[in-house]
Amino acid sequence: MVGATAYIMWCSAKNRVRRRLRRLREPRYLIGAIFGVAYLFFAVYGRMAPRRPSSSRSASPGARRAQSVVATMTASAPALGGLALLVAAAVSWLMPFGSGLLEFTQAETAFLFPAPIPRRSLLFYRLMRSQWAVFFGALVMSLAYPIATISARTRGLLSVWLLLMTAHVFFTGVTLSRPQLRRRSEHSQLLARVAVAVVFGALAVVLTAVARHLWDQPILNLTDAYKVISGVVATGVPHLVLVPFIAVVRPLFADGWLSFAKALGPAIAVYLITIAWVLRADEAFGTITEKLTDARGSQPSQRRARYQARSVGWDLALTGRAETPFMWKGALQTFRVVDRRVLIRVGIMIVWLTVVVSLFGRARGLAQALGLLATGAAIFATIIGPQVMRVDMRQDLQHLEVLKTWPVRAAAVVRGEMLWPAMVVTMVAWVCGAVGIVLSAATFSGASLSLRIAGGLAALILAPAFVVAQFTIHNTAALMFPAWVPLGMSRPRGVDAMGQRLFMLGATWLMLIFVVAPGAIAGGIVWFAFRRLIGAWILIPAAMVCTTVIALEVLMATEALGPAYERLDLSSVDRGE
Amino acid sequence: MAISVQQLRRTYGAFTAVDDLSFEVGRGEIVGLIGPNGAGKTTTLRTLAGILKPTAGRVSVDGHDLVTAPIEAKRRLAFMPDEPHLFEYLTVEEHLRLVARLYTVPDFDKRARELIGELELTGKEGALPGELSRGMRQKVVIACGLVRDASVLLFDEPLTGLDPIGIRRMRDTITRRARQGAAILVSSHLLHLVEEVCTRVIIMAKGHKVADGTVKDLATRADLAAAGSNLEEIFLQITGHAPQFTADEQDS
Repeated sequence: MVGATAYIMWCSAKNRVRRRLRRLREPRYLIGAIFGVAYLFFAVYGRMAPRRPSSSRSASPGARRAQSVVATMTASAPALGGLALLVAAAVSWLMPFGSGLLEFTQAETAFLFPAPIPRRSLLFYRLMRSQWAVFFGALVMSLAYPIATISARTRGLLSVWLLLMTAHVFFTGVTLSRPQLRRRSEHSQLLARVAVAVVFGALAVVLTAVARHLWDQPILNLTDAYKVISGVVATGVPHLVLVPFIAVVRPLFADGWLSFAKALGPAIAVYLITIAWVLRADEAFGTITEKLTDARGSQPSQRRARYQARSVGWDLALTGRAETPFMWKGALQTFRVVDRRVLIRVGIMIVWLTVVVSLFGRARGLAQALGLLATGAAIFATIIGPQVMRVDMRQDLQHLEVLKTWPVRAAAVVRGEMLWPAMVVTMVAWVCGAVGIVLSAATFSGASLSLRIAGGLAALILAPAFVVAQFTIHNTAALMFPAWVPLGMSRPRGVDAMGQRLFMLGATWLMLIFVVAPGAIAGGIVWFAFRRLIGAWILIPAAMVCTTVIALEVLMATEALGPAYERLDLSSVDRGE
Repeated sequence: MAISVQQLRRTYGAFTAVDDLSFEVGRGEIVGLIGPNGAGKTTTLRTLAGILKPTAGRVSVDGHDLVTAPIEAKRRLAFMPDEPHLFEYLTVEEHLRLVARLYTVPDFDKRARELIGELELTGKEGALPGELSRGMRQKVVIACGLVRDASVLLFDEPLTGLDPIGIRRMRDTITRRARQGAAILVSSHLLHLVEEVCTRVIIMAKGHKVADGTVKDLATRADLAAAGSNLEEIFLQITGHAPQFTADEQDS
């Protein structure tokens, strides 16, 4: 199996490089590659030169303060790192995601599953194949570390590699064990339950201790929180339960080769124990790989979301506007992809977040903390929502062949594709924004009532305009540069693909400024002309003018996109891997 | 003519997939489009379906130009591709309802019921594509194409994934639709199906039309006399793949 694995790895790497070099003949990949290389140079290569921290005598007071904070943090960093790992381990049990190690391609399924090799060898194969990606990730992380010598970077590289591999294998174990929690086989069920009990038991011990400290001594800022948490996890039972997690991160904080060597032993021991645990779940591996074989046989190679047929209470009428079927389609996609288990887990996380906010907010008041949280969430939804919610042309490009046979105007297709996700993101922003307005007396106590309400309502009026403008830009990009848009849940790889993503991100933000500018100018004129007459309330009509102008721009843009949609032919687009 | 293709050319970059292709299909006709792999059959069908834009030439459906009046042309078309492209989050019934809405099908419920029964999808109305076998998914695509009164039906390998009963029913459905006045273009490698069902055959090779006529017409062509009246032999002969026999083998 080792020989076969090495052969596949060598051939894949060789052909991938050849393909990526060949596609540089196309301008879009070349531009992407230039951006990607430039980014790597400035972000990573620029840090290659060893830089020593400036001496205390010559450093500015600010720098000296920063150095002292870093020194304090370094002392308690392993314990805090261990805590972070523990939380990540617990979250991995709750989140419904599978390990990438168990994702076999169609070719792997076709060639390796029928081959006369034990199932454990398949896991070994995937482990080997994932090494390069993990190593590359570790390399980037070690290079990105700001102040370090070459030898410190080398130690960092090895530490991060080991850490990521341990996490990788642990996550595979979680994926294998999750279904075993409810199985009848006593052995596998016991193994899975012990693993869950260990992780959540340790988490309960640490969180109880932290919560007790926070209850006794309310905290005012992040430094307070840091001091309390690092104090709790550095001693007593919480420290004891964190030992295996601390062992994994300790090499990362070694300040020399000797201490690194000392820390490496326990870290490797934890890694080996994790591997042993995963291999003990052999029965589960057999079941899961059989499932994967069945699923892969009937599905394309791209990763796909899972859907569950359930009524969403919306029957599509047989007549009406051309955009409505697209909205309906988007609604079904959204509601059906959401798993009830995900909702429960999200609920648990919200409860947890509320508890944390309550504990942190005791000193200043819960209303202020929740108000800030809601306002932040509204801003986040408005700005990031359109990038995350891709239930539009970006996802439907994979169904373009079907869409193009439909007798629907191109502009209606584009508008219809955007309407549902824009509505969802706007609703989220509105709900969070409304909570923010209600609690604004506590959050923005310095502002007058009229300013808070008028400002809040103006923001709510502007939110859909910003959201729809961003969706228009993303969908325009999907139609104009389809090769740069990831299809479905797949993500193109390579330096050129990374450069393309960076380029697109920058271009999107630039476009947003251009789209919003006319509306902002029109709204600004209204505000300037009447602010002395009606005070803060002028913000509302100004926002309405701005939103109307942006809506008109969006309408014109979707009409103008028609020819691009008609011209679009994905079969002539080289999507790379 | 229901389908009219004039000097169609379609290129992908420097590669020409279809060149100078002209043909017509009248109402009630079933025309088989055959050719070796890479002949340009699927490109032709995808261009006719409005998925690809012709590089040159003209395609019209019931007199509506596919480039200048795409909505009217597409309203009359039903394309059934070889690979069933379905929305993973819509059930079988919802796929049919979506198509009915897009194409304005008046008596949808009755038609849907009939089609679901005809294509043996009964009991699967609420199933998502992920829960269906490939053959079943293919049937859903066919149902979506047939739920409306399309005057032009384009089939790309319509029998792929179907069981023997499904194949029989599909064959009957194609002939029945033609009798009802639809113009049908079928691309298939199953030459016995083409020979049995189609009223005319178009043979393509390397992006060009190399033959067009009934099997009987083709058999009487002087250059194909050696092939006899069997479509498979005619196809092999015309595409230059006819078996070469030695003198001894010919004697035997």
